Order: sequence, then C-alpha cells, then structure tokens
Amino acid sequence: MPPAAPRSGDAIFASVERVNAELFTLTYGAIVRQLLTDLEEVEEVNKQLDQMGYNIGIRLIDEFLAKSNVSRCVDFKETAEMIAKVGFKMFLGVTASVMNWDADGTCCSIVLEDNPLVDFVELPDTCQGLYYCNILSGVIRGALEMVAMKTEVTWIRDMLRGDDAYELQVKLLKQVPEEYPYKDDE
Amino acid sequence: MIGTGKIKQYANVLDKPLGKGKQEVSLSAFAFLFSELVQYNQTQVDNISELETRLEDAGYAVGARVLELLCHRGKGNRRETRLLGILSFVHSTVWKVLFGKVADSLEKGTEHEDEYMISEKELLVNRFISIPKDMGTFHCGAFVAGIVKGVLENAGFPAVVTAHFVPVEGQQRPRTTILIKFAEEVLQREARLG
Amino acid sequence: MTSTACFIIVSRNDIPIYEAEVGSAAKREDAAQLHQFVLHAALDIVQDLAWTTSAMFLKAIDRFNDLVVSVYVTAGHTRFMLLHDSRNEDGIKSFFQEVHELYIKILLNPLYLPGSRITSSHFDTKVRALARKYL
Repeated sequence: MPPAAPRSGDAIFASVERVNAELFTLTYGAIVRQLLTDLEEVEEVNKQLDQMGYNIGIRLIDEFLAKSNVSRCVDFKETAEMIAKVGFKMFLGVTASVMNWDADGTCCSIVLEDNPLVDFVELPDTCQGLYYCNILSGVIRGALEMVAMKTEVTWIRDMLRGDDAYELQVKLLKQVPEEYPYKDDE
Repeated sequence: MIGTGKIKQYANVLDKPLGKGKQEVSLSAFAFLFSELVQYNQTQVDNISELETRLEDAGYAVGARVLELLCHRGKGNRRETRLLGILSFVHSTVWKVLFGKVADSLEKGTEHEDEYMISEKELLVNRFISIPKDMGTFHCGAFVAGIVKGVLENAGFPAVVTAHFVPVEGQQRPRTTILIKFAEEVLQREARLG
Repeated sequence: MTSTACFIIVSRNDIPIYEAEVGSAAKREDAAQLHQFVLHAALDIVQDLAWTTSAMFLKAIDRFNDLVVSVYVTAGHTRFMLLHDSRNEDGIKSFFQEVHELYIKILLNPLYLPGSRITSSHFDTKVRALARKYL
C-alpha cells in the first residue's frame, strides 16, 4: 500500500479533540508559578521547564508521526518546516515560520505567530531572567531526539522580555540516521 | 496562506483586549501538560495526600481567575450571592468553558445539609492519566477539586472540596464525584438571606 | 472634573492593594490619610450590602461630610471604593467597569498572586486616565 499523503496541520487540528485554550494557559501558568515557589532560582525554573518539555517531546513524537502521516523526515530542513507548519498547528492550534537558515543548513529559527502560553503574562521584576515559555524549547529538543537529531534549542527573541517576536533557534548538533528508535512497519 | 500572520504587539498586556474564550488547543497538548504537572509534583511530596494538596493548589489558582473572568464575560457583571446560584454556575458555566460540557449532575448530599456533589462519568483529567496500583486512592481530580474550591472560596462560599471515585453499577469504570462541603458561615448566611 | 476623589482597591481579605488620590484639589498628605480612613470604615457596610444584591455596582453606600463613598464589588469580592464629591453616577459606574476590566487582566497573569499589591505602573497610569475621563 502506498503511504498516505502527509496531512496539513490545519486539517489535523480540525479533526482532533480540543480543549479551551484558557484552561491550558492557566494550567501552564499554575505550573510556572509552582516552580517559582519551589525552586526559587529563576535559572532552575528555566531548566525544569525545559526538562518538562523534553519529557513531553519524547512522547509527543509518536502522535505527531501517526497523525501527520509523515514518514520520518531525514532532512533537517524538511524537519524544521514540519515542526513549524504541522507540529505547532496540530498541538497548539498556531502556526510558526522557519527562517534565518545558516549557510550549511544546520541552524534555523522558528518564529511563532501566536503563543497560547502567554496570555496576559507579565514578568514581575523578580522574574526578569525567566524564559516563561521554556517548555517549548524542551518539546522540540525531545521530539527531535527521538528522530535521531540531537539539537540545541535556545530563545533568540521573547516578547515577555520586550522583544518583538517569539523566536527559537534550533541548531542541529548531530544526526544519527542509523539509530532509528522505531521500526518502519509500525 | 500559512505563515504570514504576526503576533500583534501591545505596549503592555493591559492594552490587549480580553478574549472571548474561543481559542482552543488540542486535548493532547493539555494532556501532556497535565501529566507533567502530576509527575513534577510527585517529585515534591512524600505521600498521596500531599500530592493531592499540591494539585489542588494548582487548580485553585485556575479557579480564582476563572470566576472573575467568566462572571465578567458571560453574566454581564452579575455576582452570585446564593448557594444554589454559585453551584449551578460551577456545574454549568465553569464546566462548559473549561471542559467543553456541562457536568453530568449536581446533587445535594442526602446525609449532610452542607454537602453537595458534582459528578462526572469521565472527568477530563482522568481520561489520559492511568494511576499506578501503588498510588492507591490517588485522584488527579484533586486539580479539578481545586478549581471548584478556587471559584467557590473567591465568590465568598468557602468549602472543603475533594475528588472521589464512585463505582457505578454495571459499569467497569467508576465515575468521579467532586464533593463540596461548605463552611458553616456559608449556611448561616444562606439561612439569614432566607 | 471632580475636585476630590480617593480611589482604593481592597482585596477579598480586606487588604488595600492599590490606592490613588485623583482629582484637581491640592493633594495634602493628611487629607489622603483621612480619605483612606473613611473608605476603610465603610468596608463593614459593604460586607453586608454585597450579599443583598447580585449587582457589582453598589452605588453610594456611605457619606462623609460632603463626600460620598461609592463601591463596586467584583465576582471575587475584590472591592473598588471611591470617595468623591461628584454626583455623576453614570461616570462613576463607567469608571468602575473599566477599572474592573483592567483588574481582570492583572489577575489573569499567573505570576500575579491574587490579593497582593498591584505594582504595575501601567495599571496606575490607566486608572488615573480613566479617573480624568469619567469622574
């Protein structure tokens, strides 16, 4: 049987079960708040959010591959596009764009066009070093690791810190094509 | 055309209009997030009851905000001053907005005057969490109990709110009951208001 | 423009979380203190009145010399209290409603602890602008 064509993020988002974004936003806010209380140091909160995102990413990739009908992306460029156009849409209902590719195609930026994590968030003076959305960088890192791409994901621009966009830089460190964690007949 | 939009930048969050609450994310995104909330909190506690308290606190933060937001958005700035009014607000309005449906039932406790129960066949947060056997009575509905408590307490109806599994005859899976036990002052005020 | 007005926000637990002296009269430290004292004294009246109506705007609930205390109670029992000499009830209602919307936005920030002091300078600026517009 020939593989089904990859589906667009919009089509997938329209077909999956959805919940009110406010429940999601406020729950995420409650998590960040708990971490700030428990860990005190903003730097530790950034790390924990990234870790939570990583845990999500390594589990979410299955659902992503299954629902999008994407046979594994081998090319980093194509993968980055899939994350931005399909991944963000099918899970968060928002799209993102890929830009700022470096010359050898191993580093790019993902710029969010909407961000349901940050509704009405304002960083108080005591949290100035906080990367409030750091869970997202962890998700991308975790998901890519499961398709054998070791990456480093960092925030380049953050509107909560006064920038004009949410921009994540994704840098491919190592690609290990022979270590597919999944069999092809799955 | 995908990818041409840009987030509108406001000088300050206070300039941004309050949304209508129509935006959605996928249920899986919420499920993943909620499961991280539970797992993180497991690392911070020694026992199930502490875990439930921490989930309740997280839910409370949501409930306190949801009360103010929904009364403003849906009720034309009316407040609930009566016990049945606030219960029905939780059972209908809050449930519908947060969980996409009105709760299955709202009942008065048969044995105690101060107890009410909101029941749900399959509570949203239970749908994607399977509880390991060694966690015994743990109920991640503690988060939802916290939301309910946050709404009630901030509206001036302090209560102890807990989540329980209740077996249903002929059904394999138990339903969830959110048990609400109002503080004495609430019932006294109710009696006074007549 | 009103000549005197003192606006405070009191949390559910009776703690003042925002204050502003607004109006064109000369601002005197002792007057500000007296105004806040009068408003706090009116809290007991609000406490009882709030349960007799489901409206948020309780209108004028108390007076002090030629000044009137108007109150607005939010769903979460945060109280907006205004001591004023203006008789423009519609303006006061609009002022409260717009401050309410600003307050909800402050509250929706997960990093703002409900019931804690509102320190946002943007909030302060906007409340003062609303006071100029409506009072």
